[in-house]
Amino acid sequence: MKSFLLSFFLCFVGIFGYSQNYEIKGIVVGTDGAPLPGVSIVVKNSTKGVSTDFDGNFTIANVQKGEILVFSYLGFTTKEIVLNDNIFLNVTLNEDMQSLEEVVIIGYGTQKVSKISGSVSSVSKKSIELLKPVRAEEALQGQAAGVNVISSGSPGSKPVVLIRGIPSYTGTDPLVVIDGVSQTLDDLNSLNPSDIESINVLKDAALSAIYGVKGGNGVIVVKTKSGKRNTKTTFSFDSYYGTQEVTKTIDVLNASQYVSILNEASAATGAGLVFPNIDQGFGTNWQKEVISNADIISHNFTASGGSENTSYFLSTGFLGQEGVVGGGNKSFFDRTNFTGNFNTSLTDKMTFILNTSYANIKNSGLSENNIGSVLSNALNFDPTVSPYDAEGNFGVSNTITQEIKNPLAQINDTYNKGNTNKLSGKLELQYDILKDFKITSRFGYTYTDVYSKNFSPLVFYGVGHNSTNAHADLSPIVTTDGVGVTTSTHNRVSESKTNYFSYTYELYGNYDFKISEDHTFQTVLGLSIGKNQGENVTANGQDIPFNSWEYADVSSATGDAASQTSGSWQYENRNLSYFTRINYDYKGKYLFSFTGRVDGSTSFGKNNKFAFFPSASIGWVVTEEDFFDSKTINFLKIRGSYGSVGNDNISPQFSRITTFPKYTFDGTIISGSALQSIPNDNVTWENQIQYNVGFDLKLLDSKISLTADYFQKTVDDLLFNPTLSLYLGTPVYPASNIGKTKSYGIDLSLGYHDTYGEDFNINTNVSFTTSTNKVEQINNGDKFIWGGGYGIPWTTLTRFEEGFSPGYFYGYKTNGIFQNQGEVNAHATQDGAQPGDIRFVDINGDGKVDAEDRTQIGDPFPKFTVGWNLSLDYKNFDFNVFTYASIGGDIFRAYERNLNYTNRFASTLGRWHGEGTSNTEPRVTFIDSNNNRRASDRYVEDGSFLKIKNIQLGYSLPESFYKKTGLTQVRFYAQVKNAFTFTKYSGYDPEISSGVLDTGIDRGSYPQPRIWSMGINVKF
Amino acid sequence: MKFFKHITLVSMLLFLTSACTDYVNYEAIENYEITADVYFQAPGDYEAAVVGTYDPIQWLYMDVLIGDIASDNSFSGGESATDVIGVQQIDEMTHNPNNDNLTSIYKFLYEGINRANYLEQNKSKLEFDSKAALYGEVYFLRAYYYFELVKFFGDVPLFTETRLTAADSGTLQRSPKSEVYAQIELDLQNAIATLPGSQSQKGRATKFAAQALLGKVYLFQDKFTESADMLENVIGVYSLVNNYEDQFLKAGENGSESVFEVQYTNTSEWWDWGFTPQGTEGNFGVIHNGPRAFDGPTYASGWSFNIPSADLYNSFETGDSRRDASILNFETFATATGASYAPGYKDTGYFNNKYIPRAGESGAQTELNYLTNYRVMRYADVLLMAAEANLRSASPNVAKAQNYLDQVRDRAFGDDLHRVTATNEAIWDERNFELSMEGHRFFDLVRTGQAASKISGFVAGKNEVFPIPQQEVDISGLTQNTGY
Repeated sequence: MKSFLLSFFLCFVGIFGYSQNYEIKGIVVGTDGAPLPGVSIVVKNSTKGVSTDFDGNFTIANVQKGEILVFSYLGFTTKEIVLNDNIFLNVTLNEDMQSLEEVVIIGYGTQKVSKISGSVSSVSKKSIELLKPVRAEEALQGQAAGVNVISSGSPGSKPVVLIRGIPSYTGTDPLVVIDGVSQTLDDLNSLNPSDIESINVLKDAALSAIYGVKGGNGVIVVKTKSGKRNTKTTFSFDSYYGTQEVTKTIDVLNASQYVSILNEASAATGAGLVFPNIDQGFGTNWQKEVISNADIISHNFTASGGSENTSYFLSTGFLGQEGVVGGGNKSFFDRTNFTGNFNTSLTDKMTFILNTSYANIKNSGLSENNIGSVLSNALNFDPTVSPYDAEGNFGVSNTITQEIKNPLAQINDTYNKGNTNKLSGKLELQYDILKDFKITSRFGYTYTDVYSKNFSPLVFYGVGHNSTNAHADLSPIVTTDGVGVTTSTHNRVSESKTNYFSYTYELYGNYDFKISEDHTFQTVLGLSIGKNQGENVTANGQDIPFNSWEYADVSSATGDAASQTSGSWQYENRNLSYFTRINYDYKGKYLFSFTGRVDGSTSFGKNNKFAFFPSASIGWVVTEEDFFDSKTINFLKIRGSYGSVGNDNISPQFSRITTFPKYTFDGTIISGSALQSIPNDNVTWENQIQYNVGFDLKLLDSKISLTADYFQKTVDDLLFNPTLSLYLGTPVYPASNIGKTKSYGIDLSLGYHDTYGEDFNINTNVSFTTSTNKVEQINNGDKFIWGGGYGIPWTTLTRFEEGFSPGYFYGYKTNGIFQNQGEVNAHATQDGAQPGDIRFVDINGDGKVDAEDRTQIGDPFPKFTVGWNLSLDYKNFDFNVFTYASIGGDIFRAYERNLNYTNRFASTLGRWHGEGTSNTEPRVTFIDSNNNRRASDRYVEDGSFLKIKNIQLGYSLPESFYKKTGLTQVRFYAQVKNAFTFTKYSGYDPEISSGVLDTGIDRGSYPQPRIWSMGINVKF
Repeated sequence: MKFFKHITLVSMLLFLTSACTDYVNYEAIENYEITADVYFQAPGDYEAAVVGTYDPIQWLYMDVLIGDIASDNSFSGGESATDVIGVQQIDEMTHNPNNDNLTSIYKFLYEGINRANYLEQNKSKLEFDSKAALYGEVYFLRAYYYFELVKFFGDVPLFTETRLTAADSGTLQRSPKSEVYAQIELDLQNAIATLPGSQSQKGRATKFAAQALLGKVYLFQDKFTESADMLENVIGVYSLVNNYEDQFLKAGENGSESVFEVQYTNTSEWWDWGFTPQGTEGNFGVIHNGPRAFDGPTYASGWSFNIPSADLYNSFETGDSRRDASILNFETFATATGASYAPGYKDTGYFNNKYIPRAGESGAQTELNYLTNYRVMRYADVLLMAAEANLRSASPNVAKAQNYLDQVRDRAFGDDLHRVTATNEAIWDERNFELSMEGHRFFDLVRTGQAASKISGFVAGKNEVFPIPQQEVDISGLTQNTGY
């Protein structure tokens, strides 16, 4: 390679060696200071030309003063320099923003942005590098218009990602395609975000229909980095260290307030004081006990480059994040990655690509987002109890005997660990049959092994506590029954191994051709065969020696054979698909595209194995028209698309005989059988019809860009488990295609970039996303399905109901507090109501308040979200701020346990305690005959928020430094993530992530910590 | 033209693979699933399906609780006025068609019926020796399920040929109670004809259990003569145990007085709250009745539901051994043992001592796995039913009635000095002394027309039956019971 270039140079030297004029030398670098090899340099209006070598150096002999050198390089703006007396030139080329973004990866090919007539959102390498996300999805939040990401603060947890609304009930995760290989959102947890080159989100049917039945929830196309051919190896090292903190605590009653409120609650029932001693001081602040600062660290090391026939990208990374709740021993996420991407030309027509990624994830977690979570315990536990008693044992409550416990004891008693090993990648062969006709054969795979272990030790939370299974000294409780048989409590350990394997084999051909100069075609035709399988084996044992985590393993369990139980499960689904796409444009002016995919799936009923998903789009590049002549408008494209995509989120159905039913004869359990499920042979895919109209606009030398889209999605055959007659008994009845939903909204992205003088660059982008979802029809009889809920006893809260937004909150409306008996009497009959109780609204006006009066009391999904990214560069400094706002979503506060002796919120101090004392907080009482705690709008809060998600200030060392060291870039930066949150919500964090129908229910969800970090990037 | 060659090649490849559409077919065997297509090939399949038909009888713990909570015997209890709201409403007689507990009962009973029907549907697939006796159990169980349904809901949908499928949803209407009773009688007659007098495995239905149940079914229809005749078959087959209390302890299960018991065990490793009570082999009713946060000997903590009233406790005569066997007076117990508990809602200081969490009698997830069998029918019940049937028969046999009543009272007091004259009222009262807290009281009060006078809040003409679940009105289009 090198010798080739050398002779190339010698050749030029030979030609121009006899010059009578002078010789000029120089170096060409990019804006980051890295030398650019292979830059073409020609003397204007002549045939003279050279290229830069590996180190960016060039020499041209035989030039004259006044001649013009033209420097051009793919992806950079061409620069012209008039020769003066200098004999050495320092040339810096600027990256051409337009041309860099010119090509986007769509399914089974790429397309020039200017020629796309579908809707796509892109997130660049630079945004990802600046944000330093823990998981790649984070980089989509607020940066990609049309995408809603709801994250949790729990280390490594999977966020909810919604691309253009919630069209389906059975699944909302988009398809993730990494380097052409179909994967799932779960697989993003093992991808090192710093290995990502670009993320494109295919939003409309025109683009996602090439993925057919998998494309219904949108497609996230991820490209990982690769090396460039003919470049020297570039090494880079990125590292940061940060500390995470929780910025907010919730006001609960301190010990003195707690005892006086409880005395009042007891007195309200006519009983005596429960705490004669009312001076208890502040007591224990349980939140402070469980929340602590925690570390986050990350190191990445990469090497990339290439020779004439091969390019490579190698990377290794480590990310360690500890939890801010409960401490780093019990709550952490550690990820180690190794990636190797190779691309090599086997012959001049054949290219082989090998991408391999290995990830190891070790993690451990504490209970979160439920009534038994650590945070819920911290909020609800008795503040008069000390964390530890005089002997150093965990303090216990004698009055709280259900679920709620000392959160420190809970953290201590929680033992689990997970270890995931994942190997993924692809083998791809590309064969250029003709110049523009390429066949690609690709085998992509993901192989995952997940091991998990869970130990439930003998625990003591007080005598009579329903979670206690040991005496105070942690010895098992042994009891003898009436006939002398003794039984004992046990500790238990569970180990589970799960193996997932999925592959797709794809074979397709791309043929690009022109008919005359004006008609350009890009076509693709291919097939895809895929398989997804998983299998699990679980084993359980009891009686672990010393009640100790160190010994906790099924192999060390000493319990008898009957206590050693095991289980297993497995699944497999397969797809077979054919696809095609034709893109056509006339003079780059009129754009047309057609996509079709035929999908077969094992998930579907016998009678409906295959589905066809077509889509089409058109575009008009107005600025290409001859009549269009504007200096202001540089680019304008108007486009529209229509098509269908699907969703096959169901399992194959059978007339399954289950042997789960059992009965006991002679004291021995005997297995029986029963029909468990009944198939629907006609069940088929959910077919989504999508429209999209939009435009792309660039103004003022392309400094301002605006992309706007309006979309609408309808699903006519939503998959559902119908509600049937109860007299059919308890089997699982098959999913049927019996629902209809509609989603519509606007995605908007506005960008501006400019350079002032030599040293000041500004780059800013605003994205705006709305989506409105409505369930149009559910033919299950009830017209609704219950979704998420909370608490003990379990209260269902969200519904997927005809005529409403999916997952809206359903409950009672309140109307103040009954001030006196007269008001109770005047109101509709409300069983058990007394003065001081909440007045619930008799919605249906039938004169009584009952379950029929429940109605919509909130909607967890925001009306719109806005992301604003601002980057400023001045000389060697760079500054970035990213702000994200989510407006109009509601939150249901559900972390109050409401036992008589559990703690209450500080707002209880403003309770009703006599006529006129409060019209918002009900009286306190041990006998809540009015059921004031029922699901009502009392618990619904405005969850709108604005977060400064990221502030980063960086400084790169000046160029003079590099020459001495051989380094090409050294950048230091300081970063604050989740810097500020502006919200009215009273809980920890208004961003609450769980399943779609659980969205917005705050059961003690894990807050996103503020992260202060310092880092360094080095390239050499 | 080279280009077209390649196109042909690719097209051929596509066609080749399109032959493999089998690739997207999926067979149950790939998931190791047994399906209906391959079932009922061996006697063992039938035996398993019969075991499966017994299974739902274990899920009916709430029927038992409601039998007393709905009556004058006990209060709802629980942690608070909102703990298991369905039960709270039933105690107050304010229950409505949206009652999860009643909905579960209804659904569970129909699951039992569907499982029995599934055997009926597959009856002709195989002949084997024990088949007739096995089907005797199936008919016994179906009768049991339908009887519970008419007791709770009155007129109900009646079907006997097949297990219903999704296509049958919304196609049935309620059949008059009389038709359902006719089917129950027919099933029990068929069961009696084929069931053996004793079974090698304890817990299986016998001929005598079927006869006793049929006697009860007649009694519930005021067919006193038929009832007396039918119950006569069972007289003398069983015997009363000497010490009344013993039969409610573990050692007394399936004893000489036991006609039919729902079998439970604590050996299951069951832990899954999400699939309770279908999953557990334990008696989930028991934990409901225990004192909250109990600390002391003999018993274990529970949830303080189904709290016996002071009136019930005080109604027992001095010397009646059944009072302390039936009801735990916690104050007395605490004085003797130093035990303590946390009072729950509507606390009376009394607990149901017949079905109470006892120390060491549960396993795995202890709330779910109490071993205590539910005594569906005891010989004492048979005697009292026979006494009543003989007394109320068209041709009364007062001597028999008196004799049966005396047997029950003599055992209770341990002497023959406490006999009373056998009148309807005396027998009805005796039924409660003998059978209180066993889930019979509400249905006895309704059957004997005493409900309105004894149960506060009871509306005559309405509360004799519970409401049909709202879902059945909305989805199936069933009519609602009067007043709901």
